[in-house]
Order: sequence, then structure tokens, then C-alpha cells
Amino acid sequence: METSIAVIAFIVAFVIFLVWMIIAFNGLVRMRNRVRNGWSDIDVQLARRHDLVPNLVETAEGYLQHERSVLDDVTQARSQAVVPAANIPQRALAEASLTGALSRFFVRVENYPNLRAAENMKLLQEQLTSTENRIAFARQHYNDEVMNYNTARLSFPRNLLAGFFGFPPATMFTADPNDRERVEVQLSSSSRP
Amino acid sequence: MSSQAVANVGRFGPRDRETFFDAQRRNRRATWRMTFFCFIAALSMGIPLTLLLSPLIYAVLLIGAEIYNYYSPLPREFWLQVENLARLAQRVGNFIFNHKPIDPQSAILGSLVLLLPGILLSIVLWLTVLTLFRRGGVGGALLNLCARQPTQTDLKELQLADVIQEMAIAAGVPAPQVRLVDGAGANAAAIGTGINDAQIVISRRLLDVLNREELEGVLAHLIASVGNGDLRIAFTVTSIFEAYGLIETLINSPFGPQARSTIWHILRYAFLRSKDSRAREAEIVAGLLAGNVGLASDDIDHFFQSGSSKPSIIWKILNFVFLPILITNLAIRLILWFFSTTALEPAVAFLWRTRQYLADAGAVQLTRDADGLASALRKLDQQNTSVPGDGWASHLFIVSPGRSDRMQETAPTPEAMQRFAKAWASSAGLTTTVVGSSVSGDFKTEIGRVRHAALQGDAGAIARLYAFGQAMAAAEGGTLPFKMPDPADVVAARNGDPAAIERLRPLIARAYAGQQSQLQEEKQNGLQADGFVSFHPPLKRRLVRLERMGARISLPDASGNSRTIRIIVSVFLAPLITLVVAVVLMLIAAMTMLSLLLLTLWLGAIHGIFSLLAHH
Repeated sequence: METSIAVIAFIVAFVIFLVWMIIAFNGLVRMRNRVRNGWSDIDVQLARRHDLVPNLVETAEGYLQHERSVLDDVTQARSQAVVPAANIPQRALAEASLTGALSRFFVRVENYPNLRAAENMKLLQEQLTSTENRIAFARQHYNDEVMNYNTARLSFPRNLLAGFFGFPPATMFTADPNDRERVEVQLSSSSRP
Repeated sequence: MSSQAVANVGRFGPRDRETFFDAQRRNRRATWRMTFFCFIAALSMGIPLTLLLSPLIYAVLLIGAEIYNYYSPLPREFWLQVENLARLAQRVGNFIFNHKPIDPQSAILGSLVLLLPGILLSIVLWLTVLTLFRRGGVGGALLNLCARQPTQTDLKELQLADVIQEMAIAAGVPAPQVRLVDGAGANAAAIGTGINDAQIVISRRLLDVLNREELEGVLAHLIASVGNGDLRIAFTVTSIFEAYGLIETLINSPFGPQARSTIWHILRYAFLRSKDSRAREAEIVAGLLAGNVGLASDDIDHFFQSGSSKPSIIWKILNFVFLPILITNLAIRLILWFFSTTALEPAVAFLWRTRQYLADAGAVQLTRDADGLASALRKLDQQNTSVPGDGWASHLFIVSPGRSDRMQETAPTPEAMQRFAKAWASSAGLTTTVVGSSVSGDFKTEIGRVRHAALQGDAGAIARLYAFGQAMAAAEGGTLPFKMPDPADVVAARNGDPAAIERLRPLIARAYAGQQSQLQEEKQNGLQADGFVSFHPPLKRRLVRLERMGARISLPDASGNSRTIRIIVSVFLAPLITLVVAVVLMLIAAMTMLSLLLLTLWLGAIHGIFSLLAHH
């Protein structure tokens, strides 16, 4: 009689353990997929920026006759960023140079009140600001998901599962110190029309 | 609240800080506590209700059994069982009132007999309500507002569309659809059933009032609240109220056309096809149902009145026969109203407030910047925030709709006063250079004087007011929201000119309609109608929490005076309130006893009648 109770208790405990393992495993899978999804979301926003740049150049071309260098910079940076690069650091570098070119462009635009006030220029500027924001928020979201995943992965008792089933740690997105180009702000009025 | 929290932002030194993650954890724990209280409140409302419902259900079942028995007799065991159950219930009653001892098994069985039918009925009705309204979600009435999509060519609306996408990306959820509403109030709400089909209803005025960072904060709050599952919570909460309302409607239905039309609405809604009209109809039905939880329904009076207008003997007999049900009906309604107002609504309000705090912390997590939301809340506190149709959905908005409007009407800002003064002076053909508080005092009395004269019929005064209206319109840059009547018309109308009266009639009608609709809106404020606890947390507390999370704002001053006054008032009021509550509880107990007694007599009488009929 007692052995049968012990057997039943053991079976029940085993079933509970199985159920927990299934739930925990699925949870880890879900979080890992969110991390991967977050990473590709960043790519989506970067691609969106690539698509907006030609529009921008076209709108500004009429006004910025004397600033061809800035426009050319932007176009060139964009074409470099669109080409799929060999590895991630190179891509990050290309995207960063596009960011820098765009910042310089917008600083120049401040000197041209006609261009600045043009309705479609305002809309376009809003779209580009939003794109930069979206890239930033996509990275932030990716980091949040990485944090959740790493925390779950390392906390007891899930760390046993993670080690056993092979859930590698994820790395956060950090800004490479090389990416931070300094934007030159021209305070002289030599470029006024 | 420590004294640190109310100091100015220009203060140096350590402050209590809290990360938004900790704030979120704290609020999630608080949600569990509040849910527990809600559960207790619903239980406290449900138990007296089931005590009354069960005898009613038994009565109906027994009548059915008697009728069936009359045609084909039921086996004897059935009646024996009935007698056993009745004896069990009687023993429980004896135990409670006469302190006769009772063994645990009979106690349990007896209470089950007393409570089970009522509980079963309540649960069945609640599940019905849940399944009926699940597709519609919450806030469907706001879809009635002719809401439109944001246009891509307007800068502000493009910003809105972009900000929503940005916040959705930061939260990792699909971006909700946006509907814009044109109107005077500035507010925003999230409606729908969950993340996948949520919609954000936002008024155009909000876009004009807030800048991009503040808009980001507001939308982050809404998306965070949707992501946290607040829509489902709102739905469940509303469903509880609706379930009680359904019980009351069913009880009322033999007596009143209003209850019957509600049931008709429900049936019609259950068979609707399209999703949008489902949502709208859901709102109407929900309003009808939950609005019935109260003493406002006048079906009983209707019944009595119709009874008195037809003093035939049939009505008198029917009155007498249905008396127990009437008393039960009144007792049920009293119970529902009392417990709903004192227990359920405050519990639900506190639960909702906790979710709002959680959404605020979620907004800080999404934007990583508490300043935007804080300054947005600050700005909205000064604004008119009522959106038409906000009745039942008022808790879904980010700030309480309509409150600040009423407060602001008494105190126009100094700049507004300046504009008024200038317009007033220019209407008299003068120009003024001095504007200040002294001038404003003068010109207020002057306006009062001129208005008084105009009401008496002075043509000059009427013309002056008209010129004032024109000057105000010019100052505001356009036309005023209402049309001022032509002074010549007014004078002519006073003298009886029919054409002038005809021209003035639509203006009067519109002004009157505006007033009516405002009254209507104030009446319709749904969940918050009778409650004394607001569903929205007070601004100051929200700002304090945001400041702890890193917002750089200066907090509004807490006047120590109001605090001491509140304490004194509550000390005086507390015994009074306790007395009132005790009286109402005793009244409820008395009515419950009375209705139970009457129901028992009724059952006995019916049994007697049927056994008499059976013997013939």
C-alpha cells in the first residue's frame, strides 16, 4: 500500500517536473526568437532610411545649388550602405557614415530659410527624424529583449535548462566608439545665399 | 509623502529615485492586491444577492414542478427530496437566528442549498455577458465619432503616425490603428480587445496642444497600457457590472418596458454580423445594462402607475400575487446599488489607478524619458479634455475627460483676460494701453452692467455686445464657435417682428441643444457616475512618481492647509458615514428577510393551491 502511494507520488512529481520543463523551455525559445526578431527589426528600419534618402536629395537639389558637396556626400554614403557588406562591423560603419552625412546635411539646411520652410521639406525632415528615432527605438527594444533573455537564461532553475539545451547568451547592441563622427557645425555665415 | 517630494526642482541633494523597472514590478504586485479587493467586493455584493435569488429560482422551479405534477404526477421521491432540502435550509436558518446547534455536514449542505442556485445563475449570466461582448471589446462607442485616419500631408498628423510607429517598435507590438477626432477637447484613449486589434482614438486638439516629446509620452502610455493587457482588464471589469445589470434587467422584465427593450437589444446584438456595428451595439447594450445597476430605473413606478390607472379587480389580484416578487425586486436593486457604490466601484477604481501608474512606468520604459509624459500631463490638466461620447469609456482615456473644463471655466488665464479687455475696449471705440488686474476687475463689472441692460432691451447695450463679439472673433483670428445674433434682429424680435424671430430661432435652438448635449454627457458618465473615487489618479501623484523616475519637473505646490482641512472634515464625517452605512445595511437585511418570508408564504400558497386542484 505504501509503495503504491510512493509510486503515485513519484509519478505525479515527475509529471509536474515535465510540465515545468516544457513551459520553461518554451519560454526560453520565445525570448530567444524575440531577440532575433528585434535584430532584424533594426535592419528593417535601416532599409527604410535607405529608401527615403533619394527623395530627400531630390527635394533639396533645387535649393542647395551651392552645396553640392553635402548632397553628394549623402548620396554616396547611401549607395555604400545599401550594398550588403561582408560583416556586421563594416555594415555598422557604413550606416554610421550615412548618419553623419545626413546630420551635416540638416545642419546646412538650417541656413536656407526657404528650403527649411518648404512644406514638403518639413514633411521629409519629419520622416527622416522619425526614421532615426525608429532605428534608435528598434535598438532599444532589441536591448530590452536581450536583457530579458539573458536574465531568464541565467536565473535558477532555468539556467540548467539553458545549458543543457544550448541557449547561448545574446549580446547587446552598443555604439562603437568609432561610429561617433563629430558633426561640424559651421558658425560662419559664408554659406548664406 | 516626504517633504522632499514637494520641493522645487532647483534643489540639490539626494532624492528618492526609482527605476521604471522597479516601478513596474511594484505596480504589478499592487495589481494583485487590488484584484483581491475587487474579488472580495464582488463577493460581498454577490452573497446577499444569491440569498435572494435562490428562493426566487426555487419558486420558479417549484411552480414549474407543480404545473407538471398537475398533468402527470411526479414520483414521490421528488417531493421527499424537496422536503429534505427545505428542512436542511431551515436548519441553517435556525442555526443563524436561534443558535440551535447543527452538525457540519448539514451546515455545508444547507448553505449550498441556500446559495447554489443563485451562484449558478450569476455565473451563467456572467459567462453569457463575457461571450456576448468579447468580440466588441471596450470603448466601441468612440467609433461613433466619425473618426478619421491621419492625413499624410499635415505635419502634425504625420508626426502622430510616425510617433505611433516608433512607440510600437520600442514596445515590440504591432502598431495600433489611429483614429482622429475633431473637437474641442484634447484627449486620447486606447480601445479594442487586445494588442492585435487595438485602436487609438485621439483628438486633433491634442496634437495642437502638445509638442513631439509630449505626444511621444502620451502615446507611449497608451501603448504600454495596451501591451500590459489593460483592455482585457477593463473588459472583465465592465463585464462584472454588466452581469449584475443583466440580473437586474431580468428581474425587472415582468414589470417594465425599459427592461424588456434592453433584453430585445441584447438578443438583436447577439445576432449581429459585422464587426464595427457589433462594437457600437455592444457599447449601447453595455451602457443599458450597467446603467441599470441602480435605483434609477423607473419600471416599478411605471408598473404601479399603470396599475392605478386600471383599477380593475384583475390588476389588484395581480398586484397581490406578484407582491413577493416586487419586494424581492426592490431588495435586489437596493443591494446592487449599495454594494456597487460603496464596495465594487471604489475597488475597481483603485485597481484601475494602479494600472494607470503601471502604464506611466511603461511609458518611461518605452521613451526612456519621463519629461515628455510629465509635461504632457501638466499641460492637459489646464485644458478642456472632454471628448463627445466619452461616457462609458471615460476610464480608457489618459486623463479624466471633462473635469478640467469645468474647473477652468471659473478662472481664465491672464493672457485671455488681456484679450478680453482689449476686445471690450475696442468695441467701445477706445484703445487701451493699460491692462492688469485692476482693469480686469473693472471691465468684468462693466460687462455685467451692459449685459443686464441688454437683457432689459437697451438697443445700445445690445449693439455693444455684438461689437464685442466681433472684436473677440477678430482677435481669435477667425470666427467664434457660435454665431452671434444680429443686434437689429434682437431689437426687432423684442418688438414682435416675426421675420426677426424666425432668423433668431435656429441660433437659440443650437445654443439650447449645446446645453442639452452637455447635460446629457454629464449624465452619461458611465462607470464613474455615482462613484466618489475617480478612475484616474490625481495629477500630483502621477507627477511625483514620474519625478522619482527621473522627470525634471517642478511639482505643483501642496498646500498644507487643504490637507489639514481634509483630515478635519473626514474626522467629522466618518461617524456620520458609518451611521448611514449601518442604517442602509439594516434596511437591506430587513428587506431580505421580508422578501424571503413573502416568498416562502407564496410558495406555500401555490403548493396549497395546486394540491387542492390535484385533489379535485
